[in-house]
Amino acid sequence: IMNVFRLMQIGLMLLCTTTISSLQCNHLPLQQRKMIENSLQLLDKMGKKFPQQCLREKMSFRFPEQVLKPRQKETVKVAIEEIFQHIFHIFSKNLTLAAWDGTAIEQFQNGLYQQIEQLEACVTKKQTHYFQSKEVNRLKVKKYFKKIDCFLKDKQHNLCSWEISRAEMRRCLQLIDKVIRKL
Amino acid sequence: SQFRSQNIFPTDLIDDLAPDTTYCLKVQATLSLDLKEGLFSPIRCVKTTHKAVNDLLCATNVSVIALNMKFHLHWNNQYKQHVSYNVQYLIGYLKKLYDDYSMKWVNVPTCENITDTQCNFSSIITTISGIYFLRVQAMSEYNKSCVSNEVEVDPLITNEIGPPGVKVDISDVLLHIQISPPGGSECEVMRDHYDLSYRILYWKNSSNNEEEIKMKEIKQTIGTISDLTPLTLYCVKVQAFSEFYNKSGHYSKEECIRTPGDKILPLIILATFVTALIAVCLVATPLGFALYQAYNKIKYVFFPSCQPPLNIEGFGGQLLSSPYLSTTEEPIENCSVIETIITEEVDQTDFKDYIHSKQSSRDSGNYSNDDTSGSKVSEEMLEKEII
Repeated sequence: IMNVFRLMQIGLMLLCTTTISSLQCNHLPLQQRKMIENSLQLLDKMGKKFPQQCLREKMSFRFPEQVLKPRQKETVKVAIEEIFQHIFHIFSKNLTLAAWDGTAIEQFQNGLYQQIEQLEACVTKKQTHYFQSKEVNRLKVKKYFKKIDCFLKDKQHNLCSWEISRAEMRRCLQLIDKVIRKL
Repeated sequence: SQFRSQNIFPTDLIDDLAPDTTYCLKVQATLSLDLKEGLFSPIRCVKTTHKAVNDLLCATNVSVIALNMKFHLHWNNQYKQHVSYNVQYLIGYLKKLYDDYSMKWVNVPTCENITDTQCNFSSIITTISGIYFLRVQAMSEYNKSCVSNEVEVDPLITNEIGPPGVKVDISDVLLHIQISPPGGSECEVMRDHYDLSYRILYWKNSSNNEEEIKMKEIKQTIGTISDLTPLTLYCVKVQAFSEFYNKSGHYSKEECIRTPGDKILPLIILATFVTALIAVCLVATPLGFALYQAYNKIKYVFFPSCQPPLNIEGFGGQLLSSPYLSTTEEPIENCSVIETIITEEVDQTDFKDYIHSKQSSRDSGNYSNDDTSGSKVSEEMLEKEII
């Protein structure tokens, strides 16, 4: 009997996810585009121009652009959602030394959260076999953000490390913007 | 028994349960980034109680009404005695960031300690991208308070698009519609993010209401409708819509206008045509004439039709010349020379010298330097030129 219940639960969950993913998802790329534009504006609004003294400490993090290049739309959407999650995580703590506009940071985070929720609702993840083959790409994204996280920790989240990270995130969002326009 | 599945945060509230019912639940953790799902927790069952008396204090039917980015929260209350309310909001991402976000709720500045059952919270919607949660805290005189359910507000999805402004103008059989976007000048943000298009509905307003309503969709704020019948009353109403968000706005007021008759129209057309014709003739005729004259002159200059007779010697070199191009002064000079010949035979030697000089002064090398033949030729030529 328990097995029957379990099967029914799985069935219901699958039903729920499929119905949810068909709602509002046709216009996802268009809505996401506007949101990314908004996020980029907020990222700029957060702080001032990149300080000259931080140019010396600039580091190349090498974003794995190939993760945004696969031909299937679903894979790209999942990659984008993961990147948003990572960016959300980075901007969530230790921001005091950056001395940025608190409201802009709040709005930026809120915007990312909204985009993540929207993507989660629209991208079906139950095709596990589909995504296991993209494991390499996901690990690359993780490695990239881990590098940024370590960089910030090493520099004790000082102003320059934050400014460099912010510039890097800007580049990242711009790449995503380009990809979304093609979806 | 029904199964329900819901994504929740570590601290969360499930608020749509029925009273006096037993509910059982189990929880599973997922790592969405790694696509990993954990095992389910053991099942826990709990029975809901009957509705508490205190519940009357709580605000009920909390709902959002938003028009043109002006957000209002409305609620009901059945409490008999004096109640005051605090409207609180939570910025969406805080739920994701903190396991326990209960301390993160903030009072909406303009809706603290109010007695009205509505609140304008547009001031806290600082950006259109981002989810907000709102709830109402009701407080009675005895320091009892109760917090209502939350409502989720996604600004662009919750918002309603208001009616646009419409102005109609008519010119012959073209109806011009000028649309002013909904929300006026303060709502740039809304129009920008919705990427609004407009739907125009128009129909003939006749005594029988069986006329079909026609529709036209445009992207700009100026539309034109042709294919109208004259001397008819047409009515128009416009609706803004967003394809991105699958949202249609409210309809504008109906504007009606009558198309002019076409009695005058054919006359106007005829008059215009005749005037144009006359004007064209007046301009074209002299122009054509002038062109023809110019053509003739050019033809005469470059391709003269009169050729001198070929049997006259010495004219070989002059075949290509014409009276207009030649710059020699010989005819005039020859007149004076002739006079010399007739009157003074003594001066013949001078004359011969003169002819020689004349011969040498000529460009053409056709003439020999022989005196006798040269003089004969020149005498004949002089005679001809007199004639």
